[in-house]
Amino acid sequence: MEKETRYLTFALTKGRLAKKTMELFEQIGISCEEMKDPDSRKLIFVNEELKLRFFLAKGPDVPTYVEYGAADIGVVGRDTIQEEGRKIHEVLDLGFGKCRMCVCGPESARQRLNGQELIRVATKYPGIAKDYFYNRKNQTVEIIKLNGSIELAPIVGLAEVIVDIVETGSTLRENGLVVLEEICELSARVVVNPVSMRMENERITGLLSRLNDVITQEG
Amino acid sequence: MQKILHTPEGVRDIYSTECEQKLILQEKLHNVIRSFGYHDIETPTFEYFDVFGRDIGTIPSRELFKFFDREGETLVLRPDFTPSIARAAAKYFLNEDMAVRLTYLGNTFINNSSYQGRLKETTQIGGELIGDDSADADAESIALTVQLLLASGLKDFQISIGHVGFFHALAAEAGLDEGLTAQLQELIANKNTFGVQKLLSDKEIPPAQKKAFSSFTGLFGTQEILAKARELTENAQALSALDRLQEIWDILCMYGVSKYVSFDLGMLSSYMYYTGITFRGYTFGTGDAVIKGGRYDRLLHCFGKDAPAVGFVAVVDELLSALSRQKITQEISCSHCMLLYEKDQLSEAVTKASSLRSQGIEVELVRITEDRTREKCRNYAKNCTLVVEL
Repeated sequence: MEKETRYLTFALTKGRLAKKTMELFEQIGISCEEMKDPDSRKLIFVNEELKLRFFLAKGPDVPTYVEYGAADIGVVGRDTIQEEGRKIHEVLDLGFGKCRMCVCGPESARQRLNGQELIRVATKYPGIAKDYFYNRKNQTVEIIKLNGSIELAPIVGLAEVIVDIVETGSTLRENGLVVLEEICELSARVVVNPVSMRMENERITGLLSRLNDVITQEG
Repeated sequence: MQKILHTPEGVRDIYSTECEQKLILQEKLHNVIRSFGYHDIETPTFEYFDVFGRDIGTIPSRELFKFFDREGETLVLRPDFTPSIARAAAKYFLNEDMAVRLTYLGNTFINNSSYQGRLKETTQIGGELIGDDSADADAESIALTVQLLLASGLKDFQISIGHVGFFHALAAEAGLDEGLTAQLQELIANKNTFGVQKLLSDKEIPPAQKKAFSSFTGLFGTQEILAKARELTENAQALSALDRLQEIWDILCMYGVSKYVSFDLGMLSSYMYYTGITFRGYTFGTGDAVIKGGRYDRLLHCFGKDAPAVGFVAVVDELLSALSRQKITQEISCSHCMLLYEKDQLSEAVTKASSLRSQGIEVELVRITEDRTREKCRNYAKNCTLVVEL
């Protein structure tokens, strides 16, 4: 009952993550020449042979595209998946883009994390911060949403601590901040739309197991 | 400039062709359900909060539209029909020993978060088979939903069947507490194998059971996965859930619909009232299931009657958007006629219109005036299959 093959659509997170993802895809024989042209103004890139389409989106939008089936598969950081809390299947850890979600602040703030005192937490990830403090630490906090340079907040006195991604920790050190607690480990993940997972089961699981083979070999 | 009144976010007007398509689709679906012997029922649009409360286990309280009556009682716009039907069935069919089949059609309301592109008001048509705990009843509900989707014109779709008993038996055997079970359930429902492994990594659970939980996400596909699932456990309850699924599969083969059916043991609904099989219908062009259903043997007990039941619902709006994206349209009746007349021909026009209507033709009277000239009226009627000019 199979009719002509439908395009399988991928939503990739713009930037370094997309580049790494395409490198990995090339190892399993999926390439997209169109995407390599840095001057291209195209929004959608097509691989006619394999009937695949790719597009680039801002990180937080990738789960949205996947949830509504506008993309069948997405590649996005785990931080974004957790923050957005969408109904999507998180099926594979790609193993790159590794970092940690942490509570950071000046050393002096450490004791305030152990009390029942109401502290202010600045973050780009209010969902993750709220879940951590309310459900895992059982501490009532006031969350302040910021959009960048979160490290500033404790320095200028906007908040006692911050919740942010830590890769090497050098920005923290330069500003006299330290990691106080680790919330979770992060890396790039493959997410799949629940409907696509069922309707295109063979194609998608085939692709995932090939990706998994490459990752485990490297790992 | 004139101010235009907009509709609030999450609700919308449906008109013209789309509305016609929707009504025809609803009628087709209704006919299919009626053909399985279901009887119509209507329940109120809003009910007391308790009908949809936490004990019943529909959706989280914060996603309900709530308001108060004059006595200060909390009322809720129904987010889901099943509890309403269960309440009504417990009340009116309390003394029946025989099975009752009920079908309903109406709108449901869920106050989901903003800017996610989701409708807050959706039309649902569904049926509930109350007072029958057999696999026959389960299979009938599933076979019916296949017929529903076929009647809508869809060709490419899948009904996934799961059984909450399998997961719950394993969770109970491993001695997981309520919080952990809920977390695990969510991870498995999202097919997040790493999440499951991480969550269980520091828990004291025998390795065989850990392996069983992390294998859940792989347990979907054809009926062969039932055998695969059987190897994971020796728990009697879990095995009886698998026996049930096998039995349902055999009956679905009799119905001749097995090619539309697959199994997914990791499909765990957030609706807590399900106790046995659950199923969902998927097709292209929509991010969510178009059919949802399952068995809820304890729900009627909450309303005062012990009766097993199984039910399903087709989400008409999701189905309609899937159909339109797959370019499948319902046939619209083509007997629409426009009758153009001038002022002094009214009596002739009325007589003519009545005679046409009695022959089953839809007649729209169009009066020609100075502003609306014959030319303009002809133009207005140009897409009509039949035009009569006096």
